[in-house]
Amino acid sequence: MFQRILIANRGEIAVRVIRACREMGIESAAVYSDADARAPHVLQADHAVRIGPAAATESYLSIEAILRAARDLRVEAVHPGYGFLSENADFARACERTGVVFIGPTAEALDRMGSKISARRVAEQAAVPMVPGATPDDQSDGSVAAAARRLGFPVLVKPSEGGGGIGMKVVRDERSLPAAVAQARREAMGAFGDGTLYVERLIERPRHVEIQIFADDHGRVVHLFERECSVQRRHQKVIEETPSVALTPALRERMGAAAVAVARAAAYRNAGTVEFLLDGVGDEARFYFLEMNTRLQVEHPVTEQVTGVDLVMAQIAVAAGAPLPWEQHQLSQRGHAIEVRIYAEDPARDHLPQAGPLLLYREPSMPGIRVDSGVAEGGEVSVHYDPMLAKLIATAETRDAARRRAVAALERYPILGLRTNVPFLVAILTHPRFVAGDVDTRFLDTEGDALRADLDANPPAEAMLVAQALDGSPVASRSNAIDPWSSLRGWRG
Amino acid sequence: VAEIHPLGNGVFRIADGTRSRIAYAAGRSDARWVFLEGRVYVIEAAQGSGSRAKRTHEHTALAAPMPATVVAIEVETGRAVSRGDVLIVLEAMKMELPIKAPRDGVVRAIACRPGELVQPGVPLVELE
Repeated sequence: MFQRILIANRGEIAVRVIRACREMGIESAAVYSDADARAPHVLQADHAVRIGPAAATESYLSIEAILRAARDLRVEAVHPGYGFLSENADFARACERTGVVFIGPTAEALDRMGSKISARRVAEQAAVPMVPGATPDDQSDGSVAAAARRLGFPVLVKPSEGGGGIGMKVVRDERSLPAAVAQARREAMGAFGDGTLYVERLIERPRHVEIQIFADDHGRVVHLFERECSVQRRHQKVIEETPSVALTPALRERMGAAAVAVARAAAYRNAGTVEFLLDGVGDEARFYFLEMNTRLQVEHPVTEQVTGVDLVMAQIAVAAGAPLPWEQHQLSQRGHAIEVRIYAEDPARDHLPQAGPLLLYREPSMPGIRVDSGVAEGGEVSVHYDPMLAKLIATAETRDAARRRAVAALERYPILGLRTNVPFLVAILTHPRFVAGDVDTRFLDTEGDALRADLDANPPAEAMLVAQALDGSPVASRSNAIDPWSSLRGWRG
Repeated sequence: VAEIHPLGNGVFRIADGTRSRIAYAAGRSDARWVFLEGRVYVIEAAQGSGSRAKRTHEHTALAAPMPATVVAIEVETGRAVSRGDVLIVLEAMKMELPIKAPRDGVVRAIACRPGELVQPGVPLVELE
């Protein structure tokens, strides 16, 4: 087993990996940019080294800076987390050349599954169905339009390289195609340095259901069931859960087998996720291969909660050459887990990302609640990185109990100093369609306005009294409080 | 009649007869943040007259909401634009943020360049 691991990431996932290292008796080494010198991942790791300025391209995305840190700290392995360099085959190769183990798939598997074109080829080999789509050969606007016409509107235009919904555009008619193509290209270039676009037929009202797989170097591949991630905003997941209400045991088995087949065809190793679009529910539903995420997912905790395994520890063990700790028949789901992602954003202002100080930040602590976070009270949320602050995972015997538990915990999760989506999350969790499990990937598009309608309420008198008490002025009664405030305006809730 | 008992460390107890609730608060008098029953309220001080507020609104609408990089300028000086037209596209925190025309008008000046890192509060476009 490794003695020391470098975590090439920041925020909650870096903290998550540090915890796993500690439990395994492995020393953890954090890296940080100037913006993160006092961040929780730096404070919790056994070692920490600065790798560059705040800009991610010169720090967390710099292969050179990370490998220099790996050499200086004499680590034996690097855990890339998610995002940043986690799916970068060049980084995996550079690690190999430096003599450091990349905790993840081989560079070849990253190449194979990282491009949508070759990933589809692999899925085809594995005889897993796919939504009809094409990569126009010459990539001209005319060819993209011709491909869209051939497939039939509505279509989805997206970067061939990529993920996380970046650059993905729904186009319903030919008229809106040029603008969407231009924007998708620009975002693809900006995010991935490659403007190649892929056009795909859009399935209306699909669910996003993904299967967690795991493979070792000894030929064993297992799946760890599904995660339903249909609650998305602009292709960015907001709430994930397992099991999915749309799956029956037979469908689950078929999807699990398909995911394992894809992993085998890709000669995959370590943790991965095969994403499917699900059309319909139950035994009659059809599923289509979407893409494979060649890394640990943000939403991995819901799988851990219902299966009882530790995916990060398994990642480290498998990377060290150990066989998978479980066989398929040993894995089962028990209970229900729901994860909500807490973003620094203002739902009332088009979910604009928010930066600022965390004046007050207190995580709830109660049975069945797990909070994976990378921030702390007194810290600063900067504009440089992803606005996700934390993930709250509620686990209970049933879906409804887990849902209620998540609501109860969010109502005891004060975050002050910048706006977050916490009230929006509560609105989703209590929406009749979510309560009924009747969601698809367009849920937040169709219900978003209703979900946000209530977010702008004026503060109740009690909130005004508390604000007044904060300033030190004496406050005793309601009538006392209202007068001094009549000259104030502009508050929002 | 509700009584507020500061419990320290930003925690407050709201006592109303036998009813008791916990609230959290932080900030200063220009912007006090209160958390009560899952909701966050920002209680700000007044900001002046209506006309100033209106001008401020346009000022705000044409400025970056946060430090961001200019990825595209969709208009040029002299162009007539309609309310809602995208004038500038910014990028921050992995997201594209379009700056849209708050009203019909003509572009008088453009105060940024593609690739430039812009700060909040400074208008990027001037409308006639």
